[in-house]
Amino acid sequence: MPFKKIFMAAMLLISSHNVSSMQGAVIDGVTYPANTPEAWLLKLNQGLRTLNYQLSFVVIHANSQLKPYLWRHSIVDEVEMEHLSLLNGPGSEIFRIDDKISYFEPNSVPFSRQSRYINGPIPVQFFKDPLKLKEGYDLVLVGRSRVSGRSAQQLRIVSKDGSHYGTTIWLDQETGLLLKLDTVDAAGNLVEQLQVTSLNVFEEPDPYFEKVDESRLPEVNRLTNLPGTEHAWQINWIPPGMKIIKQDIHRLAASKEIVEYVMLSDGLVDISVYISKTQSRPEDGGWVRHESNTLFSINNGALEVTVVGKIPPQTANRIATSIGPSN
Amino acid sequence: MTQSKFENLSAFVDGEQSEQKLVDELCNDAQLSAKWQRYHIARDCLRNELPDELQLDIAANVAKALENEPAIVAPVADKKEESTTKPFFGQVIPMFRQGGQFAVAASVAIAVILGYQQFNQPEVDAPFNAAPTIAVSGIQGGLSPVSLEQTRALPASNVAEQKRKMNAMLIDHQQQVRMKNAESLSEDEKEKSEDKVDDQK
Repeated sequence: MPFKKIFMAAMLLISSHNVSSMQGAVIDGVTYPANTPEAWLLKLNQGLRTLNYQLSFVVIHANSQLKPYLWRHSIVDEVEMEHLSLLNGPGSEIFRIDDKISYFEPNSVPFSRQSRYINGPIPVQFFKDPLKLKEGYDLVLVGRSRVSGRSAQQLRIVSKDGSHYGTTIWLDQETGLLLKLDTVDAAGNLVEQLQVTSLNVFEEPDPYFEKVDESRLPEVNRLTNLPGTEHAWQINWIPPGMKIIKQDIHRLAASKEIVEYVMLSDGLVDISVYISKTQSRPEDGGWVRHESNTLFSINNGALEVTVVGKIPPQTANRIATSIGPSN
Repeated sequence: MTQSKFENLSAFVDGEQSEQKLVDELCNDAQLSAKWQRYHIARDCLRNELPDELQLDIAANVAKALENEPAIVAPVADKKEESTTKPFFGQVIPMFRQGGQFAVAASVAIAVILGYQQFNQPEVDAPFNAAPTIAVSGIQGGLSPVSLEQTRALPASNVAEQKRKMNAMLIDHQQQVRMKNAESLSEDEKEKSEDKVDDQK
């Protein structure tokens, strides 16, 4: 199989470098010496964006089925291509070619949207601008260990004010690619775990992408990136490092209910804030957890505020209770 | 529509089942027919067998377009539940039965509701958009983790409604996250990051 030959050749090439040394990185005129967390994050970013690779990984939440994925990335004639596939069940396939992402899912007509970033289980900021995480998190380099059969560098991403869960990542020494990601709450319990079970890096682009017929991919649905809406309310406390990346009024697909909506994000964690009408009696705040998400809700008899995201309930509470009329 | 009907339909599309009864229902039921069509489109697409012209149903105005957004089909809660009184319970409440073919909807089903935690806070009388921000005593910085043992039984009349709403929001949140535009994380730096990628190649 040509794959194997290329793979062996690539591994020989890569392993011929001195494994223990690492180049420092210069970005925007700032030099990050080797063996700083910044340099490692940049190495992760560079690996994710420029290498030809294929990763198998699994995502695990407490009380929930394990989800296995396959992720391919290649540069074909200077165009980035990605493929993310959920391997259990009827499956879901996502293809990215340059800035067009096409979705093929059961129960849905295939469609495309315009973006350079697939929002998958691997946090999008690793692909985009990982140093921006420093706004909300402290980066700490930990030791080296063996993960997925490879030598790995461990790095902690710690919330500056404790408002977010802690994230620990393990990066492949040679390529910088992600091998493992743990999300842990303040008590040390695992909220979510992502583990790469096999990693292959190639010299040449994955032949799989030759089979994708670009002309058959659905046209970009322009309506998925609509301009925002002003609301009569605003969130007065947002966790450090996060910003509002979406606000609109839309209908929930499952209940047909209309909601006013805001999304907060820092590229690592996404939080949804919903305001909806309610008929129920005024309730004290309450929360539930589903997989890695916290859903926190309070209402005053007329309106209900619900905050959903991979965040501690105390943070959701703080966001929800900070909402007031807009200035 | 029952889940087993959809599962039968899926199996039928895959050529694994042929019941005359299902064929009859398919001809008579508009919803089932529409689903039939969509399964085939998805299947054809994955197998690279799509026809050259595919009619996509995108309506003219925004409100309709939002409704036609590829929706994750979630089983609708049984309407009967809303009017009947439920006995008190504070334990595990399965939201939806796990369906075989409902990949996304089934995976979002709430398997465990831990119950509502009670926080100390003053009652708010005023309408929400006029109220000052609600102070929640004891829940500021330096929080202690909320104990999962402090559950209380939910008032019966609210339960079905709450469950439905919560599930709808969980599903929507996951969809919003998948569709989010990561470029919005830093609009002004969009050009810069594209240049970086070019340099690294």
